[in-house]
Amino acid sequence: MMKLWGTNRARAVRSVGAAAALVVAVSALAACSSSSSDSTKSSGAANSTLTVSIASDVVSLDPQLQGDLTSMSIADNIFDTLTVRGADNSLDPGLATKWKQVNPLTWQFTIRKGVKFTDGEPLDANAVAFSINRLLDPATKSPIVELVNVKDAVAVDANTVNFEMKSPDPVIPAKVSLFGGVVLPPKLLKKEGAAAFAQHPVGSGPYEFVSRQQDSQITLKANPDYWGPKPKVKNLVFKIIPDAASALAALQSGEVDIVTGITKDAANQLGNNPDTTVKSTPGIRTYSINLDTITSGPLSKPEVRQALNYAVDVPTLIKTVMAGAAQQTPTLIPDSVYGYDKSVKPFTYSVSKAKQLLSQAGYPSGFSTTLDASSADSALAQGIAGELAKVGVKAKVNLVDPQTAKSDVITLNQRHDGAMYLVANSGWTLDSVSFLQSVIKSDRRSSRWNNAEANQLVVTGETETDPSKRLQAFSQMQTLLKDQAPFVYLFDINNTYAMRSDVKWTMPVTGILSMSSAQLG
Amino acid sequence: MANAVTQPVRAAGFGRRLAARARGGELQQFILRRIGQTILVLFCVATVTFFLVRLTGDPVKAMLPPTATEAQEEALRQQLGLGRPLLVQYLSYLDGIIHLDFGQSLFFHVPAFGLILQRMPATIELAAGAMVFALIVAIPAGIVAAVKRGTAADSSVVAAVLVGQSTPAFFVGILLILVFAVTVHWLPASGIGGITHLILPSITLGLYSMAMIARLLRSSLIDVLGEDYIRTARSKGLSRLQVIRDHGLQNAALPVVTIIGLEVGSLLGGAILTEQVFAWPGVGRLTVEAITNRDFPLMQAIVLFLSMIFVGANLVVDLAYAFLDPRVRLS
Repeated sequence: MMKLWGTNRARAVRSVGAAAALVVAVSALAACSSSSSDSTKSSGAANSTLTVSIASDVVSLDPQLQGDLTSMSIADNIFDTLTVRGADNSLDPGLATKWKQVNPLTWQFTIRKGVKFTDGEPLDANAVAFSINRLLDPATKSPIVELVNVKDAVAVDANTVNFEMKSPDPVIPAKVSLFGGVVLPPKLLKKEGAAAFAQHPVGSGPYEFVSRQQDSQITLKANPDYWGPKPKVKNLVFKIIPDAASALAALQSGEVDIVTGITKDAANQLGNNPDTTVKSTPGIRTYSINLDTITSGPLSKPEVRQALNYAVDVPTLIKTVMAGAAQQTPTLIPDSVYGYDKSVKPFTYSVSKAKQLLSQAGYPSGFSTTLDASSADSALAQGIAGELAKVGVKAKVNLVDPQTAKSDVITLNQRHDGAMYLVANSGWTLDSVSFLQSVIKSDRRSSRWNNAEANQLVVTGETETDPSKRLQAFSQMQTLLKDQAPFVYLFDINNTYAMRSDVKWTMPVTGILSMSSAQLG
Repeated sequence: MANAVTQPVRAAGFGRRLAARARGGELQQFILRRIGQTILVLFCVATVTFFLVRLTGDPVKAMLPPTATEAQEEALRQQLGLGRPLLVQYLSYLDGIIHLDFGQSLFFHVPAFGLILQRMPATIELAAGAMVFALIVAIPAGIVAAVKRGTAADSSVVAAVLVGQSTPAFFVGILLILVFAVTVHWLPASGIGGITHLILPSITLGLYSMAMIARLLRSSLIDVLGEDYIRTARSKGLSRLQVIRDHGLQNAALPVVTIIGLEVGSLLGGAILTEQVFAWPGVGRLTVEAITNRDFPLMQAIVLFLSMIFVGANLVVDLAYAFLDPRVRLS
C-alpha cells in the first residue's frame, strides 16, 4: 500500500490540501458553536443559575420509562409526585393532600385542587388515574416495578382517585413518593405521543424543561406558577460529567456549583480549598454479605454465621475503606428507614468470640470459602476477606463487573454459585419491607435462607394494614436477623457531594437531587 | 507553474485509459465484486455482533431493580421482543437492516441509529480538532528534527514524541484540566461548547497522532534528504528551504499522508477515554453506555455503523486505486 502511494505524488499533495481544508472546516465549526457557549456559566449573573454535575445522563425524560436514581432526580424537578419526603424523612402531602386505605384492597388519594401543568392543562384526578394506568400498561414498557399490586386507578370525582389493588399493600403511599407517583399531562401525551413527550417533557413541578443535549447537559428554568414553595434559583443546569476528577476540577474552576455521585476518597482532591465544601450526609445504600445458608456446610450453622459477624471489624472498615462516610447497621435496615428498631444493637467486633463460636460449630481452625463482589467494591471485599482470615476463614474474592454482579444476584439468587456475596440494597421507599422482601422470604429471588418465622414476618410487613402490627413485625424481624445471622451486616453509606461554599443545599437520604430548596449566596 | 501545464495533459491521458478499461467491462466487474465483498463483510459483522452481544448479559436484568418479580421480568422481556426464539430475533434484525431499520434502543426508547447520528457531530468535531492539533505540531516538529538531525532540537522532539505516545489520555487530560482550567482559569474544564471547550480535549486526543506523525515525518524526511536528487537540487543552486519544501517534503509526505488517513479513521472510531475525561458527548461515550446497559440493538447499531465507516472508506480507496492502477484489479 505504501508503494502505491509512493507512485503518485500528486495524490499526496492533494491529500495535504484536503487536510488543510479540514483545518479550515474545523475552525469554522468551532466558530459557529462558540456563539452558543457560556450562557450557562453559574457564578455571577445575579446568582440565578445553579449548575449541578451528575455522573451519567438520564435514560429517558419520560418519567415512566426510567428506573434509576439519576433519571428520577431530573424528573423530580420537572414533575410532581403524589406524596413527598420531608426534611425529616416524613411522608408529606405532594399532589395528594391526604390518603387513606378505605379497605384492604382500596387506597384513596385526595388530589390538590387548582394545580396546573406548565402548559396550562389542569392536573386533576383524571390525570392521576391516567398516569398510574399508563405505568401499569405493559405496552408502556416501564421498568418501574413498585406498583405490582395495583390493579388499576380510577378517578372517583375531580379530586379523588382510588387505587384498586390486586392484593393489599400498606407501602403504597411511600411508593408514590417517587417513580410510580409521577403525574403526567394526559391531553398533551395523547396529542404529541410518547416519543415527542420524552423530547420535551411537561410537568407541574418546581422547574420547567428548557433543553437537553444528550450526554452533555439538561437545562431547566423555574416554574413561576408553582403551587408549592417557589424554587430559589432561577435556572437549573445539570451537567453530565462521568469522570469524578474532572467534575471536581469543574467545581474548582467555578463551572459547576455542586458535584454529585462521588466518593469521599475522590473528594479529597479538593484539599482545604476555602471555596468548596465536601458534604457527607446520611444515605440508605446498605451493604451486607448474603450467605448461602441452604447448602449444607459451615454457613448452614447459625454459630458460624454469628462468628463471621463478630469477625468483621465494621467500624474499622468504615474508617479505612469508606473514608468514614458510612454508619454501621445492626441488621439490614438503616436508621433513617421506617421500622428501624434502635434497641437491636450491632455485633461488636471480637476475634475471640468469633473463634469460640467457630470451635463450637466444629470449625476450630476455620474453613475455606468464596466471596463474590462487584469490581466497584473491590477494596471493601478485600478488606472483609482480610478480617475473616484473622479467624481462619479463608475467603477467596471473586470480582465481576458491576452490571454482571447485579444480574447475578437477580438471576442466580438461590442458585448463586458463591457461598457468600457482597451486595448493596437501596430501598428508596424508606420502608423496612423494601430492605427485606426480596432477600428474606424463602421463595423470593435473592433469598438463601429458609425460616418460617421470618417468612411470616415478611408477609405481615407486606400486607398488614395496622401500622402498629407492622412495626412490631419489623422489630421482631430485626431481633431474629441478629440472632440467626443469615447475613453479615455491614453499613449504610453516606451520600457524598461537593459544593461551592456559597451554595446551601442538603441532599435527601434517598439521594434524589430535588433542587428547589437550593440557594446560592 | 509547471504543474499547471502538465495537469490537463495528464488528466486527459488518464481519462482515455479509464475509458479503454471501462469498455472491456473489466472495471465494472471489479466494482461489482468489491461492492459484493463489502456487503458480505457487513453481513458477517452484523451476524457476529448479533450473537456476541447476547453473550454479554441480560438487558432486562440490567434495567429492572433487584426487587422485580419473575413475572415482571418476563413481561418486560416479552414487551422488548427479547422473549422470542433467537433465530426469529436474528431474522427480524436482518430484515430490519435491509429496510434500514437498526432497531430501537432498549434503554433510551428511541431508534438506535438516530442516537448515533446525534453523537456524530461531537465526535467529528473532536476528531477534527485532534487532527488539526496533531498536524500543526507534528509537521514543524518532524521537519526540524530531520533537518537538525542529531542536535538538541532533534533530541527534544524525539523525547516529546516518546512522552506523547506513551502517556494515557486520562492522565494527560486531568493534567491539562488542572493546569489550564483550575489553576490559571484560561479554559473550561469539561463539556462541549465553543472553541475554548475544544482545545484541551483536542490536545489530549491528538497527542498520540501528533507523536506518530512527527516520528514518521522525521524518519521519512531523513531518508529522503539522503537521496541523490536532493544533492542534485542543492547543486543546481536552490536554497535550503526550497530544497526541503519542493523536493524533500513532497516525497517524504507520502507515507505520512497514509498514516494521517488511518489516524482519522481511528479518531472517528471513538475516543472513549478522552470523551470520558472531558465529558464530551460523542460516540465513544454512547458505546460505553450501550455496553454497560447491555443495550443489544444499540451495541449492534454502533458496531455496524463503525464497520460501515471503515469498510466504506476502504471501498472508496480500493475503487480509487483501481482507477489509478490496473494491477490492483488483478489481485
